[in-house]
Amino acid sequence: MEVKRDILWRVYLCYMVVAVVCVLIIGKAFYIQQVQGRYWRSMSDSLHQHIEEIDAERGTIYSEDGQMLSTSIPQFDIYIDFAADGLRDKSGKRFRENVDSLSICLSALFKDHTEAEYRKLLKDGYREKDRYFLLKRKISFREYEQLRAFPLVRLGKNKSGFIAEVRNIRLNPYQMLAFRTIGLDRDSFKVGLEMTYDSILSGIKGKRLVRYIGGGVSVPVDDELQVESENGKDIITTLDVHIQDIAENALMKTMVQSESANGTCIVMETKTGKIRAIANLGRRTDGSYWEDYNYALRATEPGSTIKLATLLSVLSDGGTTINDPVEVGMAGNTFVGVRNIVDAEPHPKAVLSVKECFAHSSNIGMGKIAFKEFASRPDRFRTYLHKFRLDTLTGIDLLGEEKPRLPKMSRNNEGLHAMVTMSFGYAIQVTPLQTLTLYNAIANNGVMMKPYLVSSVVNDGAVVKQFEPTVLQENFVKPAVIKDAQECMRAVVTEGTAMALFKGSPYTVAGKTGTANVADGKFGYDDGVYQASFVGYFPADNPQYTCIVVIKTKPHAIVHFGGALAGPVFREISDRLYAMYVKQSAPVQMAIISKPDSNYYSYTGMRKEMKALFNTLQISSADSGAGNSDWAKVYRRQDKPTVADFTVGNKQMPQLEGMGLKDALYACENMGLKVTVKGRGKVAGQSIMAGQPVAKGQIVNLQLN
Amino acid sequence: MVNETSDKLFSQFSSVDGGRSGLLNKTKGDKFIWGIVVLLAMISLLVVYSATGSLAYKMYKGNTEVYLFKQLSFIILGILVIYFLHRVNYTLYSRVAMILFAISVPLLIYTLFFGARINEGSRWIKLPVINMTIQTSDLAKLALFMYLSRQLSKKQEQIKDFKKGFIPLIVPIAITCVLIMPANLSNALLTGATSLLLLFIGRVSVKHILLVIGVALIPILFIVTVAVTTYKGPQHETTANTHQATAEKIHGFGRFGTWVRRVQDFIYAKDEEVPYQVQQANIAIANGGVLFGLGPGNSRQRNYLPQAYNDFIYSVIIEEYGLAGGAFIVFVYLIFLFRCIRIFRRCPYAFGAFLALGLSFTMVIQAIANMAVNVHLVPVTGVTLPLVSMGGSSFLFTCASVGIILSVARNVEQMEGKKEEQTPAVTAQAA
Repeated sequence: MEVKRDILWRVYLCYMVVAVVCVLIIGKAFYIQQVQGRYWRSMSDSLHQHIEEIDAERGTIYSEDGQMLSTSIPQFDIYIDFAADGLRDKSGKRFRENVDSLSICLSALFKDHTEAEYRKLLKDGYREKDRYFLLKRKISFREYEQLRAFPLVRLGKNKSGFIAEVRNIRLNPYQMLAFRTIGLDRDSFKVGLEMTYDSILSGIKGKRLVRYIGGGVSVPVDDELQVESENGKDIITTLDVHIQDIAENALMKTMVQSESANGTCIVMETKTGKIRAIANLGRRTDGSYWEDYNYALRATEPGSTIKLATLLSVLSDGGTTINDPVEVGMAGNTFVGVRNIVDAEPHPKAVLSVKECFAHSSNIGMGKIAFKEFASRPDRFRTYLHKFRLDTLTGIDLLGEEKPRLPKMSRNNEGLHAMVTMSFGYAIQVTPLQTLTLYNAIANNGVMMKPYLVSSVVNDGAVVKQFEPTVLQENFVKPAVIKDAQECMRAVVTEGTAMALFKGSPYTVAGKTGTANVADGKFGYDDGVYQASFVGYFPADNPQYTCIVVIKTKPHAIVHFGGALAGPVFREISDRLYAMYVKQSAPVQMAIISKPDSNYYSYTGMRKEMKALFNTLQISSADSGAGNSDWAKVYRRQDKPTVADFTVGNKQMPQLEGMGLKDALYACENMGLKVTVKGRGKVAGQSIMAGQPVAKGQIVNLQLN
Repeated sequence: MVNETSDKLFSQFSSVDGGRSGLLNKTKGDKFIWGIVVLLAMISLLVVYSATGSLAYKMYKGNTEVYLFKQLSFIILGILVIYFLHRVNYTLYSRVAMILFAISVPLLIYTLFFGARINEGSRWIKLPVINMTIQTSDLAKLALFMYLSRQLSKKQEQIKDFKKGFIPLIVPIAITCVLIMPANLSNALLTGATSLLLLFIGRVSVKHILLVIGVALIPILFIVTVAVTTYKGPQHETTANTHQATAEKIHGFGRFGTWVRRVQDFIYAKDEEVPYQVQQANIAIANGGVLFGLGPGNSRQRNYLPQAYNDFIYSVIIEEYGLAGGAFIVFVYLIFLFRCIRIFRRCPYAFGAFLALGLSFTMVIQAIANMAVNVHLVPVTGVTLPLVSMGGSSFLFTCASVGIILSVARNVEQMEGKKEEQTPAVTAQAA
């Protein structure tokens, strides 16, 4: 036992040593916790936490009829990390096994490289161990979904090395339509509505404190420390996709034909000032056209369209009536007061009435009238222009509107010169939108409406803010003067410069042509660059739309007169708008067939369903058609339901009578019609008669019995 | 919380004691040690599950249960190992020790040249059939300590003699340590120190032990000297290109560079420039309070702490269960050691007594080394916390030692049972 006791004290000694070390360990841990604790904890926070921004979804811009004009969609950039462990595992077994099939899939999906090219691309990347190999940029969500199902890619990020970087981009589904007005939202460059309503669209970014966990992932630390992001609100514009489409196409056609430099076209709803369409086309170096600049907001010398302002001024001043004779001469070149005035077109006779001067757009005539009225006080003309708001912005809710530039019109020779020059549209610069606003005021019987583009702000489908039409001013011109001005504008179309243009039109138009020889930028007056314009409203007896078309020609263009260049654009727009909207604005009496249909087996619908129904109900039915159409119509023959063929085209209005609402909606919406419904049951009446041609976006009212 | 668990476990254990089913009836040995094994295994299950979170994300796409079941199966396997080893009569281990030691030496040599490299050092070999990597040093250590127990019991008579007593003991120690050293210096040092402790307990002359320490200190001092001389303070970074070159040359020289760097890290560490893992371990410890930590499964540092489920599991324990939890772990190991000493006291046979002592001290010293690394008392070394760190070969080897210890305990119990049956006057004497 001696030996064992000798051992035992040694054991206890060692045990003591172990116990002491244990105490030291606990002591050190205590020290780290209590003495250095704050230091380590703060280090932990600074190392692993950070404040992250939560992106807010940007709102969508809608047309008035609910079409998306600009919206955010995700877009993916695909990279490959060829140094991913999973990919190179077992000396690249996974890569080698999948590279062929992946190349085939990629080639089939993107179609930009052949299989062999993709294989080479992948193999090169693999050999160079590229950690951030760009495979494909800007792929859509749908492509991304497909890509994720591909061999190798479906194994996940760690094994395939595939990295997808997502970002939101703005998409304009209607592409060029009103592109410039809808605008752009790029980091460095914003224009149009995207810029004007940026604060509403962008929403508010949120913030949260996050803590990194493994694998580059971070999690929120505490819900209370989170500031939720607020998604951007949607805006609904006054734009109408179909009117926009009509305007843009009409303008484009003429622009391409005439190879003009740029052009704009605005369609405004007369009563409200809503901009229903705004097209801006500029010629690019390759000869194509694009919405590159908002020409509608750019101040230029307007030419003859300003003569309305001259006319209104002299009539308001009281010294002149529209039937006063004006000596214009036949020379087309006369000295008026202080300067020589040239007329582009010869006059039909030597003495014209004021109305005729306006209708034939005589510079000499207008100059003389203005000179007669304001020769002693040119500044008075300016006060009228001020009254017509031609010296201020229209206040449209679109940033970038240029301020008009008016010359000084003091009571001296210089002022007089400016005044006379201005009376026929030079020396003054106004935007097409301003001209339009003034014309619209006359069309609207003297109520000047503020042009506007956004009718409401919507959040999650609920209207947050509604923008009502705004009256800029009323009674700024005496009603009698308005009547006279309207008469003069009618005369332009009936006997003046636009007479040929509107020949045979089923509706009446009032307007004014304008042709200005412009000096702009690198071009001088001698370069033969013209600005052709036409502004007017229709129908003249009950104006619904006011529209301006302004086209700037290429140098020395043969066709450069307002009536010949801008006029046809106006005509095309007014024709189509009249057919689609104006004509039907009067309530249409629908023919309602109110016979009890159950006795007549009157029903129209899908053939297959119909047959199934008859079989289930064990009703014997006859078949009269060939039976190869999807649709069928049942009618009564010899007390027996008979199924007949029924065709629904896509150009002409079908006979909807007897259809259930579901079928009727399907038929109409397939044609692009917009449907409004009243009542319940089957279709009894339709606002567009069967067989009539229909256009996309047209509205059809259905009455159900 | 931890105490509750332990209470429950002990109560479970006593019910096991009361039960008389066949298998439980055959489960013998110190009940406390059995309890400690089960308790530590339960803790390991909890902590490993929590700490493998980010690893699971990396390897199994967030399927964290993979590691839970892996660990659970290791625990079950480990307990089976313990059970079967404790059913074996421990005297058999005397021969096994010799065979194991004979195997371990060539295995170590093989590992040194052909072993798998995980974290620079070549410490692992892959077993061909079961496809598991094992750290050969774990096997070698077990073999060495069993062999030492055998030698100590055999040479007790001439133990003070240099030639007959000391040399046969120190030679196997030296062989094992030298073979482990190139791959894993810290492990070699730990093994050496533990061996010397056993020699001290085994009544080897203190003079001889001091001699060994003196010899062993030479390479250590050398490393420290190199570390100090080649260290360039942060302020001298632009100067002394030659110094940098030598340091790089040294760093380039296999594991030697790592050792030097670690010593440098430890000596020169200022608060803001302690190595990353120590920083993270300290943050983990600081995150846990004195009484309550962040709670089970709420560790934050597991995501940043390298080897949070393995070498740095103790930090995670303190983070989740507080300092109290950490102290409880220490306490459990001390109880374990105390119970093993009790076996030693009651064991009449020298080999069994030395087995119980040697293996238990080894295990507890390893635990202490791990904890000391975690609280940054000593430089970072790769040792696991026995029975708690995530499973692997070391877990199973630890279970093997526990099984052997329990085998001794079972024999002691049986013997005492017989003694009580026979006349108490007959006392077995140590050979």
